[in-house]
Parts: sequence; C-alpha cells; structure tokens
Amino acid sequence: MSAAFFVIAVIGTLSLAGLLIWALRGASHRKTNDPRINVFESAPRHLRNMAQIRQAMDSRDLQYAEAKGGPHLSARIRRERRQVTLLYLAAIRRDFEQSLRVARVVAALSPEVSGSQEYERLRLSVVFRSRFYVIKLCLHLGNVAQPQILALGQMSTSLAMQMEETMARLGERAALAAELALQSDR
Amino acid sequence: MPLFTLVLWGLATLLTLLLLGRSIALSQYREFPCFFLYLAVNLCQTAVGLVLYQGYGFGSSFAYPIIWTTQGIVVVARALAAAEVCHQVLGSYKGIWALAARVLALSGVLVLSLSLYFGRRSYHVGIITLEISLEAGIATCIAGLFLFARYYQIRVQPATGLVGLGLGLLSCFKILNDLVFERFLKINGVSWNYASSFSFVGILLIWTWALRQPVAARLTEPKLKSALVYANLIPQVNRQLAELNEQLTQLWHVESPKS
Repeated sequence: MSAAFFVIAVIGTLSLAGLLIWALRGASHRKTNDPRINVFESAPRHLRNMAQIRQAMDSRDLQYAEAKGGPHLSARIRRERRQVTLLYLAAIRRDFEQSLRVARVVAALSPEVSGSQEYERLRLSVVFRSRFYVIKLCLHLGNVAQPQILALGQMSTSLAMQMEETMARLGERAALAAELALQSDR
Repeated sequence: MPLFTLVLWGLATLLTLLLLGRSIALSQYREFPCFFLYLAVNLCQTAVGLVLYQGYGFGSSFAYPIIWTTQGIVVVARALAAAEVCHQVLGSYKGIWALAARVLALSGVLVLSLSLYFGRRSYHVGIITLEISLEAGIATCIAGLFLFARYYQIRVQPATGLVGLGLGLLSCFKILNDLVFERFLKINGVSWNYASSFSFVGILLIWTWALRQPVAARLTEPKLKSALVYANLIPQVNRQLAELNEQLTQLWHVESPKS
C-alpha cells in the first residue's frame, strides 16, 4: 500500500465518519414536514429597499459626490455603499434560499416529483450559489459584470417555471383521482 | 487464544444475543429484518471463528480462507441492512426515493471501484482491499442517505438513525482497522482483533440504546396534499421568485440612464 493511498484513505474515512454524525444530527433534529408549509410566512422583504440600493449604486451619484466633496469623500462613500450593497445581496440570497426551501418541502410532500426534476433543481441551486459568490467577489473588487447577474435572475425564473409545471401536473392527477373516486361512489 | 480476546468476543456475543432475543420477544425483527439477519450472520461467524481459532490458532492457513469467506458474507449482510435503513428513511417519499436510490447506489459503486483501483498495489492482500472497498461503499451510502434527509428536511426516526449511524461508523472503523493492519504488517493478528472487537462492542452498545424501546415510535406517513392546496401554494412561490428575479435584474440595471 502506498503512503499516499494510506493517508488519503485515513483522512477520507475520518471525514466520512464526521459527515455521518453531522448529517444525522441535522436530519434527526428536524421537525416533520408541515403540510401548512409555514415557509411562506417570510416572503421577500427586501423589495422596499430597492430604490435606495439603486441610488447607492448609481455611478452618477458618486460622480456628483466627487465633484462636490472631492475624491476622498467620494472614495469613502463608495466603500460604505459597497458594504450596504453586499448586505443587500446577502438578503437576496436568503430570499432565494427560502424559495428553494419551499420547493424542497413541496417535493418531499409529493410522490409525483421525478428524479430528473429534483436533479435539475439541485443543479440549479448549485449554479446559482456558485455564480452568487462570483458576483460577490466582483462586487468586492468593484467590478460587476451585468450578464452574470442576469444569469442569476434567469435561474430564479427557471426554478419558478419548473415548480409551476410540477404543481400543474400534480393538480391534474389529484383532480382525476378525485373524479374517479366520485364515479366509483355513485 | 488470549484471554482479552475471549472476553471481547464473549461481550460482543452477549450483546448480539441480547439484541436478537429482544427483537424476537418484542417483534422488532419485523421492523428491521435485514438488520437482525446481519446480526444473526455475524453471530454465526463468531461461532465459526471461535471454533477455528481455538482449534488451529490465528496463524493457521486452514482457518484463514474460511474466516475471510464468512467475513464476505457478513459484509454483504451489512450492505443489505444499510439498504434497509435507506428505504426506511426515504421509502415513503417516492419522488425523492427514486432519485436517492440511484444516487446512493451509484455513489457506493463508484467508491468501491475507486478503492479497488487505488488500492491495487496491495492486491497481495486483496481480500483486505476488497473489504475496505465494500465498507467504503456502505459508509458512503449511509452518509449520502443522511445528507438527503437533511437536504429535504425529512426527519429520521431516532432508532433508524442510530442503526444507520452504527452501520456507517462500523464500516469506518473497519476501514481504519484494515488500513492500519495492512500498512503496519508488523502488528500481529491479535492486536488487530482487539481493535476490531472493541469497535464492534461499542457499536453494539449504540444499537442496544437505539432499540431500547419495545416498538419504535412511528413518524406520520407523508401524504400528498389536495390539488387545492397546491393550487394555492404555487402562485405564492411563483410570485416570490418573480419578485426576487425582478429585484436582481433591477439592482444591476443602475448603470443605464434613468428615464
């Protein structure tokens, strides 16, 4: 047995044991899925701050500050506003996570959700998160590429459409089952 | 045979018998048939091992193949018990189960293949490499199961969770045990056996604790809600996501001139 294999295998096994305990703790401490799905209680709450964030990110606003207060003041404002925007971005992410949580609960309660749809949703959330971090990094560096953000938005829309499709199919089947039950009762 | 080894084996056998006896008396075997089958198989292996090692000693070339063959049967029985735990946790959620069964099986096979491939240099002790691979596959499946449950916010019944945790941890212990044994061959068979028996006794204690209740409390079966509930839910989800999408799009359109 090579030393490298031995070290990797030992580290891998210890990690696996840790993962087992961590994942079980998370799973056994959860409550059962509530059919009322109270996850809807916290709808997006950050929309009301949109105007202020737009204002904070407006380059002309900063140009005006530089012209009136000098480059030192402009740099300070830029720094502070970037912090605010980062906080806002984090809040948007929380909203996205909340929506995904709803999707997961719906999937758990639905025996009709297919594996491919679940995989697609998982993939979507992974891509969303990875792009989110890229955008966050760009924001830290003071350079945000608009297409990246638009891609994030597209992902949100895609998720919504996917859920709508699933729910429509569930609704059709449930309605058909109810109709058949009624016919058998007659 | 050393006294300490006998004591450990005796303790393990006693705990196994206790678990099996309780399972029959309290009909727990109906809930975990494969798990109790694994315990029974393991008990048989202990009996075979005891007879062989007492008669021929640890270094016997006659005992070696027989013991490792029985070990193979035990590992297969444990894999079945692990599959049973997976089904107990996710089986009620048909949509998720369809995905999980494929992913977990694939992960198990992948880990098994990788372990065999990267451990190929040690094929001279091939049976150990094979055991490491099988155990890695089992532990990966159990870890994957718990991750699925965590992701979908599915509550794992405490008894089932602890049975699964025991199976996973036992596999991890066995991998470490085999790795150390193979790496440092100077360690004699007796020391190796101490570690193996000691970890097994620990896991048996976890299982005894997990199955202390006569009948495990059942979680309510998930039921698909009516079409009306879903019809009410989905517009809310869509509105929420649409608002979020709009928010993101607007946020990054600030560079464009204001109308």
